[in-house]
Amino acid sequence: MGHGEKGRPSKKLKFAAKDDHRSSTVEDEYSFYPDEGDDASRDGENEGKKRDFSKLELKPDHENRPLWACADGRIFLETFSPLYKQAYDFLIAIAEPVCRPESMHEYNLTPHSLYAAVSVGLETETIIAVLNKLSKTKLPKEMIDFIHASTANYGKVKLVLKKNRYFIESPFPEVLKKLLQDEVIARARIASESAHGSDGFTISKAAGEIETSHDGLLNEAELAAATEEKETHAFEIDPAQVENVKQRCLPNALNYPMLEEYDFRNDTVNPDLDMELKPHAQPRPYQEKSLSKMFGNGRARSGIIVLPCGAGKSLVGVSAASRIKKSCLCLATNAVSVDQWAFQFKLWSTIRDDQICRFTSDSKERFRGNAGVVVTTYNMVAFGGKRSEESEKIIEEIRNREWGLLLMDEVHVVPAHMFRKVISLTKSHCKLGLTATLVREDERITDLNFLIGPKLYEANWLDLVKGGFIANVQCAEVWCPMTKEFFAEYLKKENSKKKQALYVMNPNKFRACEFLIRFHERERGDKIIVFADNLFALTEYAMKLRKPMIYGATSHLERTKILQAFKTSRDVNTIFLSKVGDNSIDIPEANVIIQISSHAGSRRQEAQRLGRILRAKGKLEDRMAGGKEEYNAFFYSLVSTDTQEMYYSTKRQQFLIDQGYSFKVITSLPPPDTGADLSYCHLDEQLALLGKVLTAGDDAVGLEQLEEDADDIALHKARRSMGSMSAMSGANGMVYMEYSTGKHKYPGQGQIKSKPKDPSKRHYLFKRRYG
Amino acid sequence: MVNATKGLFISCDIPMAQFIVNLNASMPASQKFIIHVLDNTHFFVQPHVAEMIRSAISEFRDQNSYEKPT
Repeated sequence: MGHGEKGRPSKKLKFAAKDDHRSSTVEDEYSFYPDEGDDASRDGENEGKKRDFSKLELKPDHENRPLWACADGRIFLETFSPLYKQAYDFLIAIAEPVCRPESMHEYNLTPHSLYAAVSVGLETETIIAVLNKLSKTKLPKEMIDFIHASTANYGKVKLVLKKNRYFIESPFPEVLKKLLQDEVIARARIASESAHGSDGFTISKAAGEIETSHDGLLNEAELAAATEEKETHAFEIDPAQVENVKQRCLPNALNYPMLEEYDFRNDTVNPDLDMELKPHAQPRPYQEKSLSKMFGNGRARSGIIVLPCGAGKSLVGVSAASRIKKSCLCLATNAVSVDQWAFQFKLWSTIRDDQICRFTSDSKERFRGNAGVVVTTYNMVAFGGKRSEESEKIIEEIRNREWGLLLMDEVHVVPAHMFRKVISLTKSHCKLGLTATLVREDERITDLNFLIGPKLYEANWLDLVKGGFIANVQCAEVWCPMTKEFFAEYLKKENSKKKQALYVMNPNKFRACEFLIRFHERERGDKIIVFADNLFALTEYAMKLRKPMIYGATSHLERTKILQAFKTSRDVNTIFLSKVGDNSIDIPEANVIIQISSHAGSRRQEAQRLGRILRAKGKLEDRMAGGKEEYNAFFYSLVSTDTQEMYYSTKRQQFLIDQGYSFKVITSLPPPDTGADLSYCHLDEQLALLGKVLTAGDDAVGLEQLEEDADDIALHKARRSMGSMSAMSGANGMVYMEYSTGKHKYPGQGQIKSKPKDPSKRHYLFKRRYG
Repeated sequence: MVNATKGLFISCDIPMAQFIVNLNASMPASQKFIIHVLDNTHFFVQPHVAEMIRSAISEFRDQNSYEKPT
């Protein structure tokens, strides 16, 4: 079991879900075993040693079995086993993937992952039986106990949305009583007038109800033993508190995870939407699989589906919507992706033009008829300020409607408080979150478990690469040594604010970038995207190399023009993008990315950027394993050695490394014998550049230099701080106050955070609000 | 007259040379240790500073390298 000794600490089993595995400390490793005193095979002698698995009983036919199951909840899967595919499908349903390199995957059983497993219909005994069948060793007792403990209470409580009111239902009044003893839940309760029964619960005969769905639900939940009574007890809760209540019910609190399913076929209250998938929309195997997790038993479950960028998330979303066939609210991150979603809906489904409408700051389409699809942005829905009359009407409509499906794109970018707002504003029967990268630096991901639902499916990147569904990317980290003069300035204390500008503008990096652009443009005829977070660097690079660039302030019109040229013209093969290009700008033509500066150590950004070139290119047979082209896309990250950038760069790569990617290190670019014709060859040019960096104001070069990984949407953050200021001012001079706060009051935070990804947009909102 | 000073000869790469220069500059006058800067990558320094430079460099490098938390 050499794989076990990688130094990843085990966690105390019971608390495994509370901490992300990354945050658990080494001390836990030793406190684990004493806790489990009942297991004779591993006490005493193993203490002090990291892990000794020699006592585990190996089954005689272990060679045919693909798994190693460890008592601490970790599971290792051999990907070369003939049973890999089946084992993978099973494991992804019950455990969290930790690290998935080529031949050996690591998974972790957590209460959350087991919660997800039972919610897709796996039963406790099935989980244990299958796990035992696949494991090379006898299942450790701890693991069996753990699975029992995590799944025992599942299905006893349901959260139901009826006629725009939320109810908690259970066939067991004692369970409801227990829940109500919790302060949070008790507070969230809305005492109903029609309460009867000694506990004040609304008792309804499930059999007598129109919604026969509950019958089915109960049968489904095998632990609900009292089915024969056919009586459900319920109490209403405050819609604003739904999230808190859900959180209290999660395994690490009261441990009564709530079941949220939507029996859309039997929903006669909400009107049907007439849409079907077009025949040419053929979901790929993994898309089918993810959908089958969602619609496992004929009902729709809320949850998150994780697919790499370019693997066809939108088709999954559209398919889900056309299966539910009810009104659908689709939320995207920005106006561009709103357009893209609307386009995808029309492309893949038979929805009529008048049934779909976009609601953004630029286009406010009202929707007619009683069912339809509305595509909008998180910002539009969560916006707290004054709206125009027109959008107020639309938002009112969104608020009052019961949505069949709430489809949320890129759930990882939206901060939790924004989600809360969106979810409390909109009433939906079923929520589907889509994302490529379920990592955030601020650990707010765990919130998604109760905000949306469990993770339903996560695809394995390398399998998709092998299947030819996404591009096979060669990742490389290019090490650029700092030049003498730049490094001298970098070290000076008075330049601490310019550090980023100095290592980004490092002439050696510039030369490496220029060399790569030339190489790929001329030798391979590739389409290249250069990413730079630092606006100063972005402008300098783009000007010097005479390439078009897009950043926050670029107008929509100009963007479209540049992107169009990039897609079609043979003369425009390189574009420079700032952070705005990270998400959702769809540029399927590009196959090379050069990253010259980045948002500190954000693993998500790295993965998102890689995603820009993941869309599969070329002929399928070339892309398959053993095809003509080994690699058809390239991802270069340029790093100035001996600077902070090295730290960030390694951190950023972790997510992709966990997905099985490896980064090649390239040390001498441009090659020593070439490069005389590249820029900044001579010392005086370099010094001129240095002078430029140093004389540029701190604001200009430090704009995007963030000290922490704030994954927040910049816009929202800014708005929030303004709100609090106006509240404190307590006067009517809000307009004046708020303009001034953005500019002067918070030079640190304000300047950085309030520099939005899209100033033109903010400007618009400001106008909306004040003008 | 020939003047002999005992010292240490340091050879390093360009950025590290700058680091050492910067370190030297940050010291109070009495503790400056560079006797002579020979070229971009070579120094002649006081004999007793080897450990100090080494630890300063290793600290600097630690700051710039990321270790996956375990």
